[in-house]
Amino acid sequence: MGEYIIRRLLFGLVVLLIMVTFIFVMIRAVPGDAVTLQLQEAGAASEEQVAALQAELGLDKNVFVQLVDWVTGAVQGDLGSSFWSDRPVVEMIAERLPITLELTFISVVLAILIGIPIGVISAVKHNKFIDHFLRLISVGGLSVPNFWVGLILLTFLSLTFNWMPPLSYQPFTVDPIANLQQMILPAICLAMTLSASIVRMTRSALLEVLHSDFIRTIRSKGAKERIVIYKHALRNSLVSVITLIGLQVGYLLGGTVVLESIFSLPGLGSLIFETVTLRDYPVVQASVLVFGAMFLLVNLIVDIMYGWVDPRIRNS
Amino acid sequence: MQEVQISSQSQVIVRKNARTLKFFKDCKRFILTQKVGSISILFILFIVLFAIFAPVIAPNDPTAQNRDAFLAAPSATYLMGTDDLGRDVFSRIVYGSRISLIVGFASVVISLVIGVLVGLISGYFGGKIDMLIQRIMDAIMAVPALILALFIAALLGPSIQNVIIALVVIEIPRFARIVRGEMLRIKEMNFVEASKSIGSSPLRIIWKHGLPNTLAPIIVLASLTFGQAIIAEASLSFLGIGTPPPNPSWGLMLSNASRYMESAPWLVIFPGLALSFSVLAFNLLGDALRDFLDPKLSS
Repeated sequence: MGEYIIRRLLFGLVVLLIMVTFIFVMIRAVPGDAVTLQLQEAGAASEEQVAALQAELGLDKNVFVQLVDWVTGAVQGDLGSSFWSDRPVVEMIAERLPITLELTFISVVLAILIGIPIGVISAVKHNKFIDHFLRLISVGGLSVPNFWVGLILLTFLSLTFNWMPPLSYQPFTVDPIANLQQMILPAICLAMTLSASIVRMTRSALLEVLHSDFIRTIRSKGAKERIVIYKHALRNSLVSVITLIGLQVGYLLGGTVVLESIFSLPGLGSLIFETVTLRDYPVVQASVLVFGAMFLLVNLIVDIMYGWVDPRIRNS
Repeated sequence: MQEVQISSQSQVIVRKNARTLKFFKDCKRFILTQKVGSISILFILFIVLFAIFAPVIAPNDPTAQNRDAFLAAPSATYLMGTDDLGRDVFSRIVYGSRISLIVGFASVVISLVIGVLVGLISGYFGGKIDMLIQRIMDAIMAVPALILALFIAALLGPSIQNVIIALVVIEIPRFARIVRGEMLRIKEMNFVEASKSIGSSPLRIIWKHGLPNTLAPIIVLASLTFGQAIIAEASLSFLGIGTPPPNPSWGLMLSNASRYMESAPWLVIFPGLALSFSVLAFNLLGDALRDFLDPKLSS
C-alpha cells in the first residue's frame, strides 16, 4: 500500500508539472502583461521604464528559464510574490484556501447526508411512484445551475425574512456563527448538484447489488430487510458512490468560484478570477497548481478508501 | 464492365436504403420506449425553433432601451418585465437561446471531433504516442474543469468565441478517454487481428471497427456535455468573462439581475428558468439515449 501511494504521488507530480508548464507558457503567450498594465496605470511609459520593470519582475528572461526558476522555487515552498502587491504568494493562498476548503467540505458532508438516504429510498421503492418522483427531482438537481439557486435563495430570504447573510467574511476561528451563516447558503447550492449525482449513483449501484445472488442468500436465511439493505447491500454499493464523489469534487471546486462571487467569500477561485485579468502570473500559476493538487489528492484518498470499504481490493 | 458497375452502384443504393430503413426503425423504437427522451427532443427542437425564428417571436429588439419602462414588472406589453435599462426580458430570453445553443453546439462538435481523433490515435497506436497524449489529457483533467475554463476565458478576454475555445479545451479529454478505452478493448479482439492479417490498413480498421463501437457512448456524452456547456457559458458570463454585454446571454442577464434582486425578482427568475429547462432537456435526452443504446445499463 505504501509503495502504491508513493507511486501515485510521483505520478501526480508529473501531471501537475505538465499542467503548470501549460498554464505558465499560455499566460505568457497571450497578449497583455503586468508591466504594460502597471505602466498604463501610471501614465506614459518610456522604453527604459518598461525594461526596468520587466527586469524587476524577472520577465526579461527566456520563458523556460523563468519556468525552471519558478518550479525550483515551488519545490522549496517559495511560490514567488505578487507582481502587484509584492506579497508572498504562499501567504495570499494561505489566506484564501481555508475558505474554499471549508465551503467544499460542508457541501460534501451535506450532499452525502442528503444523497445517500434518498438514493436508498429510491432503490428500495424501485419503480414505485416515489422512485419516479425522486429520480425526476435528482435530474432536476443536476440541471438547475447552482448559482441561480443561490440568487433565488438570497432573493427569497431578503424579501420574506428581510435577512441577508453577513457581507464581510469572518473566519470560523473569529466568529463561528457569522462564518456559518455566510457559508451555509453557498454550501447548500453546491451540495444540490452533488447530492443529485449521489442519489442517482446510490440508486443504480444498490439496485444492482440487491439483484445479486448473495443478497438472495441473506434474505433466505431470514435476515430483516433493514439489515439486508444497510449492512450488506449498501456497503457493497458504496465503492461506486465514493468513486463518484471523488470525481465530482472537481465540479464542486469549479462551482465554488461563482458562488464565492455571489456570496462575497474571498476564496481561492475568486483569487484566480481577480488575478488573471491583472496578469499577476505568480498568483495565477500557484492558485491553479493548488486546485490541481487538491483534486489529485482527493482522488488519491478515494482510491485508498476503496481498500477500506472493499477488503478484496485491500488484500490484492 | 458496364453491367458490373451498375450492379455495384445499385448494391450501394440498396445498402443505403437498408441503413435509412434501420434508422427509421430505431427512431420508432426510441419514441415507443423512451417517452421522456422523446419529449426532451421535442423540447430541444422547440428551443432551436425559438433561436432560429427569434426575430419573429420576440416582440422587441433585445438591446433596445425603453426610457419609459425601467424595471417594469411583467405585464401584457412586457411578458417577463423589463430590466434596469428598460430592455424587454422576454425578447432577451428568446434571443439568448441563440447564444446558449451556439456555444453548446460549437463546443460539443469541435471537442467531439478533436477528442475522437485524439482518442483513436492514442488507443490504436499505443506506446509512446499514447503515453504522451495521455499525460496531456491527464494534465487538462487535473484542474477542475470550470477553473480551467475560467483561466482560459479570463486570459483571452470576454467574447463568445473565447468561451467556445475554453469549453473545447475542457471537453476534449472526456471524448478522448472514452474512445481510447474502447480502442484498447477492441484492439485485442479476434476480428481486428483477422482484419490486420488480411492486410487491412490501420485507417480502415479504425473506420470500420473502432468508430462504430464508440458511437453509443459518444452520443450519450455529447448530449450530457451539451447541457454542461450551457451551464458553463452562463457561469462564465455571470462572472463577466464570457459573452460580453449587451448580448442577451442568460448568464449575463442573471449577473445583471443580482443587483436588483429585491426590487425586480422577475429578472432573476426567468433567465434561470430558461437555463434550467434547456439543461434539463439535454440531461433527460442523455439519460434516455443511454437507456436506449445500452440496455445493459438500465436494469
